[in-house]
Parts: sequence; C-alpha cells; structure tokens
Amino acid sequence: MPQKNNSSPISIYLPGNNADIKKTHSPQFNWLQPLVLLAPSGLWLLLLLVLPTLLILQLSLVPNIRPGDIVNPSGLDNYIRIFDPLYLQVIGRSLWLAGETTMICLILGFPVAYWIAQIAPPRWRNLLLIGFVLPLWTSSLLRSYAWITILRPTGLVNSLLSSLGLPTLELLHRTPAVLIGMTYSLLPYMVLILYASLEKLDKRLLEAAADLGANDIQTFYQITVPQILPGIAAASILVFMTGLGDFINPELLGGASSMTTARLVYNQFLGVTQNWGFGSALSMILILVVSIAIALLIRFGEPRK
Amino acid sequence: MSNRRQFLQALTALSSLLMTSCGWKLGNVRSGTTSSSDQMYIYTWTQYSDQELLDAFLAQTGIKVLVDVYDSNEVMLAKLLAGGANAYSLIYPSDYMVQKMQAQGLLIGLNNDRLIGLDQLFPQFQNPTYDPNNRHSIPFNWGTTGLIYNSAILKDAPEDWDYLWQNQKTLNKRITLLNDVREVMGAVLRMLGYSYNSKDENQIKQAYEKLLELKPAIAAFDTDAWQNQILAGDLTVAMCYSVDALKVTKENPQLKYIIPRSGSSLWTDTIVIPKTVSNIEGAYAWINFMLQPEVASVLSQRMNIATPNSAVFEQLPEQVKNNPNLFPSPSLLENCERITPLGDIEDLYERYWTQLTSN
Repeated sequence: MPQKNNSSPISIYLPGNNADIKKTHSPQFNWLQPLVLLAPSGLWLLLLLVLPTLLILQLSLVPNIRPGDIVNPSGLDNYIRIFDPLYLQVIGRSLWLAGETTMICLILGFPVAYWIAQIAPPRWRNLLLIGFVLPLWTSSLLRSYAWITILRPTGLVNSLLSSLGLPTLELLHRTPAVLIGMTYSLLPYMVLILYASLEKLDKRLLEAAADLGANDIQTFYQITVPQILPGIAAASILVFMTGLGDFINPELLGGASSMTTARLVYNQFLGVTQNWGFGSALSMILILVVSIAIALLIRFGEPRK
Repeated sequence: MSNRRQFLQALTALSSLLMTSCGWKLGNVRSGTTSSSDQMYIYTWTQYSDQELLDAFLAQTGIKVLVDVYDSNEVMLAKLLAGGANAYSLIYPSDYMVQKMQAQGLLIGLNNDRLIGLDQLFPQFQNPTYDPNNRHSIPFNWGTTGLIYNSAILKDAPEDWDYLWQNQKTLNKRITLLNDVREVMGAVLRMLGYSYNSKDENQIKQAYEKLLELKPAIAAFDTDAWQNQILAGDLTVAMCYSVDALKVTKENPQLKYIIPRSGSSLWTDTIVIPKTVSNIEGAYAWINFMLQPEVASVLSQRMNIATPNSAVFEQLPEQVKNNPNLFPSPSLLENCERITPLGDIEDLYERYWTQLTSN
C-alpha cells in the first residue's frame, strides 16, 4: 500500500511531484508514515474504546455479579435473560422511539437542509447553519428542561391555548413529549449532514433531467435522492444511534412509562439490585445493534460505482 | 471515498464510546490521593454543605475542605468501588448504604475515644439497627418519606396512602411518586398492611398489582423535578422525602407535608470514614466539629437538618423544635420502618419496577 503514493493521504498535500517525494523519503521508511499518522488516534481508540468494551464483555459473562465480587466469566446466563419478553419489550420500545425520531428528523430536516443548500442566498448560508446549530451550544439537560416549561399543564403552550379560549392539552409526561424532545435534540445533526451532501448536488444532472422532459417529482426521486442517499443514510444512522442511547428526554418528558434500554442499563448499575453483569450484557446488545446499523451503512450507504 | 470512510470510522468510534460510557463513566471521575494534612476531601449530598460551613471549619481547625457531591447512594458506591473515590476522607451514606458498605468492608471502625459528645445522641440513635452501637457511622440527619399536597386544591387533607387510589379520577396526572423502587413498593406494601421490607413474593406481587391500578393517574416517578412543578401548580400531590418537603413548604405555605397513617419509611443520613481515608486526623476533627452543639444548631437551622443530637436540639429556637415536619411526634413514627437491604429478592422488586415503568 505505501508504494503507491496516491493512496497515502498526506502525499496529496505535499508540494512537488511524486518523483521528488520518492527521493526525499527512502522506501524502507515508508511504513513509518501511516504508523505516525495512525498511532495517536489508534492508541486513543485502544485505551478508551477497545479496552473498556472488552471489560464490559468480560463483566457480561458473569451471572449475578454484585459490586465487590470477583469477575470470573462463567456463562451466557445474562444474555439468555435478555430474551425475557419483559426486556425484549423495553429494547423494542427504545428501537421504536429512536426509529420514530429518525423519521421525524428526516421529514423535518430534509426541506430545511435543501432550502439552505440550494435555495437560500449563498451569503446567508453560513449564518443559517450557525443558527440551526446554536441550540447545541447549551446543555442537552437544559434543553429538555426547557421543554418541560413549554409543555407542562400551566406551561407556555397551554397558557396560549387558554388565552385563546381553547381547551388545554395534556402534553407533558406522554410519548409525544418524548418524541418532541428527542427530535429537537437531534434535528441539528440531521440538517448538518444532509446540508453537506445537498450542497454538492450536481445541478447539471438536474438540468439534463429537465431537458429530457422529467417532471419535478420524477427528477426528485430519480436524480436528487440517489445522489444524496449516502448523506441520508449517514444522518439517519447518527440520529438513530444517539436516540437509542438517549435517556434524558424519555426520563424527563416521558412520565411514568419512561423505561428505555439506556435507563435499564443505568438501573442495573446504579439501581437497587446492582447487577453489573446483566447491565453489561444489555450494553453489549446495544453495541451490537449500533454495529449492525453501521455495517448496513457501510454496505448500502456508499454510492454505486 | 477515503473521507467518507474516515468519517464513518470516526462516527463508529464516537458512537460506541457514547454507548459504552453508560456504565463506567459514572464510577470513575477522579482518582489519586492527597495526603496533605491541612487539606481534606469530603463526598456528600448537595444540601449538606455550603461555603459558610467550610469557612467555619477552616477557621477552627486550619484544615481546608474540598467538597464533591452526589445525588444517590448508589452513584457514590459505584464511584467508590471503581476506585475513583480514594481521595475522600469522609462520606455521608444513608442507613441501608452503611450496611452495604460495611458488608463489603469499605468502612473503618470508629475510635470512640477520639469523638467528643457521642453520648448526647438521642437514645434511639445510640444503637441503630443498620450499625449496632454506631461502630462505623455517626448519625447526622434523619427524616421520613411522605406526601406533600396543595391544600388550596385539596380541601380534605390526605391522611394515608390510599387517598391516592380513592381520588384517582380527580388527581389524574397530578401525582408523582419517588423514582425509587423500594420506597414506592414499600409504601404500597405498608398500605396493604405488610412490611416495607417484605420478602414475601405474594405480598410483593399484590403491591405491584395495586400500583398498576394507580399507574394511569401517575404523572411521573421522580425524586426532584416535582418540586418546581408542585410550586407552579402542575401537580397536586407528590410522594417525597421530608428534607425536600421542608424546603418547598417554606416557599409556599399552602403546600403541606404529611406522614401517612399506615406508615412510611424512616431514614438516617450518616457520616462515615472510608478505608481509603487520606487524612484521618481531619476526618475525626470534622466529626467532632459537627458534634459541637453551637456549630450543629446553626447548621440545622440553615439547612433544615433534623438533628439526632439532644444537645443540639436543646439549642434550637422553640419554633424549630415544634416544627412537625422536622421533628414529627413519636406517635406518627410508630408505624415507620427503615429500608433494609433484602438480598436476592431485590431482583423481583426490580423486575416489577421494569414492568411497571415500561408498559
């Protein structure tokens, strides 16, 4: 791999032609380049991602471990326990919440991203994007609390409704409130990633389609969507994964039926039973679900060559 | 497409990091110890410390105290077990947690010769069930679990837990219960005439089914957020700890706190010295400081602390002594029980709790 200079990313940015580079870097040190470039992030990943995950994997193989017990992997009991309908229901509900949030974000985010990337005056684009990302500058906890203030029985929405003489709504402590909160938290990610791919949309193809007599709807589905499919996939996966791990919104806005997988994991570690083994097994399942999602993205998210 | 690949890899790394952090991050915030004798770290509840207290201690002993806070006993234990709490010389666990920590050998036995004024504790705190003869812990504050309600909305005051079931329709979505399986299940068990610490599967099942009846009317299970909501008028009744109720009733006197007639839970927060103590001299100095009636009585008034110390109690003004929320009459406490660790049956509690909060 290092023999071909084009494949090593840094050589693209070096001045001069390839022949010069070959002269200055002797071939036997070519392996050094990727090593030096990858070592910091590789070490980071190894120490802070791979090792902790292996630790969790090890914990997950100990049935009924309690704090203070010795970690002695001895079986798959914790994983078998997950197949209890009770826990499957919780996992299913979390997947559904994350999926629903992704759909809503996509439906709401696409027109916005399209408008900013294609229709809005170019000099406004950066400002509009910053405006969209601005909420991310505050804590996510704070944003969820803001929604409590808006949705509660005597909150902003209901004060407005009653001042207009309309009946008030019971919004807080229900599933729609959770979806509102999660969508609000994750929409900026969706818009940012969609914007990035919509900005690069090849307009010549759109013109060609129009020349060849395609109407707007045909152009949209056959020319625009295929071009930005990788962007849609990447944005959806990101939103889905973050949504799956979210427990602030379900916890604060969801009321009495707010159990999610993330909260279930939390309860295993810090709840009354302190069954860290079962909690670890649940975490591994979450990691597995996310890995599958990413594998799907890599397989289907790349544009056809 | 190398950019896309790199992005995906970064995405993978980031997301997995987010997911894996659920378990360990909470337990591993800081490590390392300081053994300097003029400095000491304390791990306590938010409401048990303020700058005035730390300044007073510094003035008297010359020891600078640095405080970290937690909001649940379990978070504290997890951090301790993950090795992230080595620096602390003093911790403030609740009664049942003293029992758990002691069972795991995390506490040092206190040397009573070095403590001044232990004999001034009220008799009921001299030999508590969770820590016989206060061998490892010194009681600091105590209280109850009960109901707080808005007397402007509810004309007839609730007297017992079953009030919630009887008025389920009018209270629809105006009720919160604590986000704590043992407290909530315990209260229902108590209402049904059983023990807060029942180990009987049949009784636990009955309590779960009773709770399921009330579920549609419950707005949320929550330990803190109810405070703002009941003050704003969004809630009518909330199950809460007396220490929080005291704070809220001060802000709005129309909110009233009661201890349900059939009984509720009684808790004590204590001061302990962990085995990993780095400044033992400072730790004893702090406990002695807190046992001084002059110091503790000022503190009790400032922080609404129900002192277990008779010498401190004597120094309180009449109006504080007679505050029934702070010092309820002994007859009300007759039916109250301490929550104790239950061992393996806790799995069943946890299971019912998951079932209750997920459907």
